[in-house]
Amino acid sequence: MIRNRFLLVVLSFTALLAILPRHAAALEIKRSQLSNGAILLVSEQHQLPMISLAISFDAGARRDPHGKAGLAALTADALEQGTKDLSADEFNKKTDFMGSSVGVETDHDYASATMTSLKKYEDETLHMLAQILVNPGLRDADIARKKADQIAGINAEQEQPGYVAQVAFLKQLFGDGPYGHPINGVTETVTTLTPDDVRNFYRDHYKTGGAVIAVTGDVKEDEIKAKLEKELAGLSGTVSPQAEPPQPTVAAGIHLDVIDRTVAQANLILGSGGIARSNPDYYKLQVMNYILGGGGFASRLMKVVRSKGGLAYGVSSGFQAWKFPGAFLVVLQTKNKSANDAVKMILEQLHEIQDKPVSDDELNAAKRFLVGSFPLKIDRQSQITGFMLGIELNNLGLDFADRYPKLIDAVTAADVQEVARKYIHPEALNVIAVTNQAEAKVAAASFAPNVH
Amino acid sequence: MKRNSFDHWSRLLATAAMSLILTFGAVRSTHAGISDAVKYAKLPNGLQVLVLENHKAPVATLNVFFHVGSRNEQVGKTGLSHLLEHLMFRGTKKYGPEEFSNIIQENGGEDNAFTTEDYTDYFEVINRDHLDVPIALESDRMANFAPQGFDSEKNVVMEERRLRTEDNPEDALQEMTQAAAFVEHPYHWPVIGWMHDVAGLTLDDAMTYHSIHYSPRNAIVVAVGDFDGDKVMKQISDAFGGIPNGAVAQPMTEVEPPQDGERHVTVRHAANLPAFAEGFHTPNYQNNDAYALEVAGEILGDGKSSRLYKDLVIEKQMVVESGVQYQMTSFDPNLLWISGQMRPGIKAEDALAEVDRQLEELRTKPVSAEELQKAKNLEQAGFVFGQDSVFEQAMQLGLYQMLGNYRMVDQYLANIDKVTAEDVQRVAKKYLVAANRTVGILVPTGVLPHEAGGGASGQVHHQDMIGETL
Repeated sequence: MIRNRFLLVVLSFTALLAILPRHAAALEIKRSQLSNGAILLVSEQHQLPMISLAISFDAGARRDPHGKAGLAALTADALEQGTKDLSADEFNKKTDFMGSSVGVETDHDYASATMTSLKKYEDETLHMLAQILVNPGLRDADIARKKADQIAGINAEQEQPGYVAQVAFLKQLFGDGPYGHPINGVTETVTTLTPDDVRNFYRDHYKTGGAVIAVTGDVKEDEIKAKLEKELAGLSGTVSPQAEPPQPTVAAGIHLDVIDRTVAQANLILGSGGIARSNPDYYKLQVMNYILGGGGFASRLMKVVRSKGGLAYGVSSGFQAWKFPGAFLVVLQTKNKSANDAVKMILEQLHEIQDKPVSDDELNAAKRFLVGSFPLKIDRQSQITGFMLGIELNNLGLDFADRYPKLIDAVTAADVQEVARKYIHPEALNVIAVTNQAEAKVAAASFAPNVH
Repeated sequence: MKRNSFDHWSRLLATAAMSLILTFGAVRSTHAGISDAVKYAKLPNGLQVLVLENHKAPVATLNVFFHVGSRNEQVGKTGLSHLLEHLMFRGTKKYGPEEFSNIIQENGGEDNAFTTEDYTDYFEVINRDHLDVPIALESDRMANFAPQGFDSEKNVVMEERRLRTEDNPEDALQEMTQAAAFVEHPYHWPVIGWMHDVAGLTLDDAMTYHSIHYSPRNAIVVAVGDFDGDKVMKQISDAFGGIPNGAVAQPMTEVEPPQDGERHVTVRHAANLPAFAEGFHTPNYQNNDAYALEVAGEILGDGKSSRLYKDLVIEKQMVVESGVQYQMTSFDPNLLWISGQMRPGIKAEDALAEVDRQLEELRTKPVSAEELQKAKNLEQAGFVFGQDSVFEQAMQLGLYQMLGNYRMVDQYLANIDKVTAEDVQRVAKKYLVAANRTVGILVPTGVLPHEAGGGASGQVHHQDMIGETL
């Protein structure tokens, strides 16, 4: 019943870290191309009688047309509502009966059609997944129902102060750009979406040229490839390219938006423009961010704000390293009265990591974690599937696992300081504060740190 | 549901694993099962050790379970189990605050802990080559607990409560509904504790609690992973075998008196949408009805073709989501929860009436053979998917050992398979009835200050401060 917002925030930060295998050989990824253009990556894992499969399409929320925020998400949801031959109800019953999960998920960059099934239901589950992509129902009544669901979901999210802060943050930083709206859109835009919008979005974006398929589990590479050739024969074409948006920037100064709510805690996001995943400074930033605020209890922000200050349960920083440049952001929750003090502490840390080189101990601890922990990130089939999508979509190469430790090990204290100065801008920041302002009295003038 | 209060830094791993466990409630196995491969030992000081080799991936996990949770607390000292869990990261005679996590992370590992009503679990997942590190650190904080920064950590816990409960309408509703459902048993209070109680806890409380409840006789250590099991068994025995026991814990003797009559709770909270949460008193794993209740819960609430989802979400479009949770592995009999958050314009009472109609259906008509099989298939698939994680395997073994015997892991699926349509109908008639439930309704008071009688300020202020001299 209860979804924990905080955990979701943490998830989004976890996703920022690269997930890499030390024992790449154990994954034995095989790469090939289907005749419809899709790239196929397979990792045979025969320990358990199950399969995890995902197909990534260039159909994420950044593809939402202007004024139609939420269309990519609605399209993904509508695709789950059965096929030309099976009603939504029949479709749900069949997948539930097998204990399989079949669905289409959206993030800011991509839409992913996924399935998890027992080996004995592999063929039937794959057929159902393929059919909602090749031969989807997309009936008016189902689309209308999912649209109502989406609006209801947005209404429910509005009660979560952390969500309200995130939506405001995206809007303030990216404006009308591809990342300027939440994945589910906002009530005003979703209300205007029509069944034809959905069918057109599906037609234009669910194409196999540029799509990536990743399969992990109890399969043989040649067999699953043959099945996919047959099941996905009805898809083809390539999605038209999307113009890269301008680098998100924040003008000099602290730009504070206060959203006044009856909350016990101030929910704060501080941030500015960040990087794309393709930025070669990515690895230096991973090390820097681990030390600053990405490394849990090893991070400076947690040490100062939580462990020493007792001001927050969680505080973290991260870079949204997406297809196009995303944000750099710091997220925390603290009781209303502490809001100004906590922001001041964070700003001091942003300056500190720019002003002084990190210690060798901090640097080495960060490297050891980043290199040492990646077997943990791929110890499940679904994680291996996600990892393979990531290396293909980001052009990292099948040898990336071998290169990664070297990329991290090469980072120096000087590199950390250099990227901190280049990509963190404590003098030009957006700040979103969802607070009970009568208690919090958040004001930019209160943040002035004592560091200089 | 707030069965678990995650602490420290919640991680992907823990979140995913726990959600599976909560969803499926218990462990099943297809054939020979995993328990035959488990090495078990009880050390002279009473500490129990379970070790299982799993060579699926080059990782290993260590879990340390203590048989203590909020059910062991006293009135006025609620939240002590959970606060102690936080303090376990605040140092020992050998290590300073948070050094535990820093050392684990430097070794490429991740660590966390959580507290439930029944138990507390500390865990690490780490590269298989470094399992000796958490073994040494966990035995150290069992033997040499000496936390620093007590007041600061208490403030952190109070922030956690604000985050999880005060600013979360559904959690606030569940907390008050549960408090009404239990009048005598300690399940009455929340795992995280009442705010005023937490504020009054002292370091002395925590030290005493640790000396009693974190004794070796009260602990189970479970290791699962890509290692030599005999070697790991020896490492654990060497590290933990010399730790002495403290005073014996007072047994928890409270028994909840039977409920005979519907109870109602109303919670006013800053929110936009009404919600409901109703809890039915149900038996736990010790009663054979548990398996039929598990299947009944599955039929009502698991999957998009489940009865409540299909009726309330898809067809009537009354709720955003519906939830059903049966707590089969609770140490003492607990509740089966049904909950939902309304869509705009829908009254919680109307959705509850629809749930009543569905429960009436379950009580009066046997489920079809196909629907029954679907529920069993979902459980079986869930079990296999769960085996994909060393962490989840360790969780299941530890949980069942706390309940009495880790070998119960392998009996679960067979017991589920025995459930008949008549069983489902019988337990629905017996437990899912109005006189046995507590109904909580959330009355939204709005999220803007003026709606709640706060300040008269508007919603958004934009304050620019250009050219600040930072």
